[in-house]
Amino acid sequence: MVLPHVAMRAKPVLALTLLLLPLTAAAVTVTTPQGPSEVFARGDLLDVLALLRLAGAEVQFAPAAGSYNAAGAGHEVQFTPGGSLAVIDGRLTPLPGPLRVVDGHVVGSLPTAAALLGAFGWTARGTAAAPELARVGGTEQVELSVVRAPTGTTLVLRGTKQRPRVTVVPGSVMLQFAAPVALARPVAPEGGLLAGELHDDTLTLRLASGIEVASSYPLDDPPRFVLRLAKAEPVAPVVTQRVGPLVVLDPGHGGEDQGARGTGGESEKEITLAVARATAARLQAAGVTARLTREGDEEVSLTDRTALANRLQASVFLSIHVNASPARGAHGAETYYMSVDASDPQAAQAAARENASAPPDTVQLILWDLAHVANLNNSARLARGVQERLNALQGIRDRGIRQAPFVVLTGATMPSALVEVGFLSNAQEAGRLLARDTQEEIATALSEAIGEYLRSPTPVPAAPTPTP
Amino acid sequence: MKTLRPIVAALAVLAVLAAVVALSRRRTAPAPTPAAGATPAPTPVPGRLVLFFPGDDAMLHREAREVPELPGGNPLRIRLVVEELVAGSREGYASAIPWGAVVGAVFLDREGNAYIDLSTPPPDTVAGTDGELALVYGTVNSVVANCSGVRRVQVLFGGRQVSTLGHLDLSRPLPPNPELVAP
Repeated sequence: MVLPHVAMRAKPVLALTLLLLPLTAAAVTVTTPQGPSEVFARGDLLDVLALLRLAGAEVQFAPAAGSYNAAGAGHEVQFTPGGSLAVIDGRLTPLPGPLRVVDGHVVGSLPTAAALLGAFGWTARGTAAAPELARVGGTEQVELSVVRAPTGTTLVLRGTKQRPRVTVVPGSVMLQFAAPVALARPVAPEGGLLAGELHDDTLTLRLASGIEVASSYPLDDPPRFVLRLAKAEPVAPVVTQRVGPLVVLDPGHGGEDQGARGTGGESEKEITLAVARATAARLQAAGVTARLTREGDEEVSLTDRTALANRLQASVFLSIHVNASPARGAHGAETYYMSVDASDPQAAQAAARENASAPPDTVQLILWDLAHVANLNNSARLARGVQERLNALQGIRDRGIRQAPFVVLTGATMPSALVEVGFLSNAQEAGRLLARDTQEEIATALSEAIGEYLRSPTPVPAAPTPTP
Repeated sequence: MKTLRPIVAALAVLAVLAAVVALSRRRTAPAPTPAAGATPAPTPVPGRLVLFFPGDDAMLHREAREVPELPGGNPLRIRLVVEELVAGSREGYASAIPWGAVVGAVFLDREGNAYIDLSTPPPDTVAGTDGELALVYGTVNSVVANCSGVRRVQVLFGGRQVSTLGHLDLSRPLPPNPELVAP
């Protein structure tokens, strides 16, 4: 009769003890190629500094920075307790989980430790209670999946943070990685993708006839690289049957993306669409083919806007926006064209050094660079023309032309500019911009500037001077 | 008394467990790593910062200000510069960082790139090209002007890399843009 009574009392005590045991464990044994070693642990969190040292890294704390620096075998990792980011070999990298300080030890989960160890060619695997430290091979396993939709096929590459260099050739696309990769499974033909072949660091994807790459871009969390495929047929007739130049006008924002908002709730996306439509109508009337990146209130990604202009082989790409500023008095129009860090002398010097030592087989690269420089000059000319026409309108303050790294201008293979026709954040200017007359005036100015640009001769880039 | 017995028993077990853990930790756990708090406090050295705020002309304007302590190390100095930007202009300019942003992690790499993690802006706080330019280049120009050796800055939001807020390419560290500064 007594024993069951004692057992009933002992049960909660035993349960509590068992519950607390894993939380209070102070060290775990890590299996390493050199043999077992003990490191501090608390629950699922392991001492990452100890693991890094076991992997041969030298770890130091920089008091002024408040961060740790792990270095070894030509690699370097910086991280801060309390954060979930690290700079790995100069590149900012999100960690799977945060790093914390527990009893004076910097601890993190097993995946977090593995992410830090990866820089030194090591990984942490197993479980937090029985972790294993192991060297990893240098080859990443990537997986290609195909997503089919009525609008086209999307190829998604998973398993690597590398951003491959994309080269499109007729009938195929080549993805060149910085380091060799391996395919987790063979590429199966589907939705415009015929086959895929991997050689070392280059994955070549063969595409069906009439299918081309519409756009490509990286995505984060988890890291992916996306290729959007589209049918080429609708584009070809436009280009081949076109008798004159084609202009792509980009009404900024759209759909859920309202853009800037006025004090009365007016949205930028409506003004940009109205101005773009009116500009297109004027260009068409003048015999210039014009296309819009969006025909209505729809969301179009920034890269897809430029990709459309590239696919149509447009002569000009003009992105139309309405501005906003935290300085409520700010008003006027301004025009931007692409910045290539021209204001950064060190970047320019580095580029010059690279060009000076370029081997002869990089002729294509040089030609691309020349075309890019020519585009930059022509973009500046286009921006100047647009700004001058806007300046001629009554009541618009000249804010000049400038350079900045705009996403929508990145990758445009033709002269391109982004115009801000006024400030919605300025109540007085917002009122004017909403007026139909003002929108028509702006459209006239933009169409005249584009027409003038197209009529004037295009400067030819200077031939490169051979280096001795 | 009968009802207290299980609790007393549990406390006794816990006390024994704590003693065992303390002893085992002494025996097996590796020595703790020096933490940030162990660093002796440096002697405060007053200094001067040059910050960039947007004016009504939507250009960035220089604003010099004295600070009671100018940290020697760049990470701490970057933190101070951004916190002063968040505090706002004392000369009537608009806010470059128009929300109560909290500075999270600050990183520096060997190439002179600084990575600054700000808390995520509330919706519609940063609008328009000039709103983005004021935020990004107000920060980039201010940090580079005050932190020797820093050449480019990438602003992160909420611990993540953000490719764009709608206009500018924020996927990489940016050099200062002197074109945006009022003469």
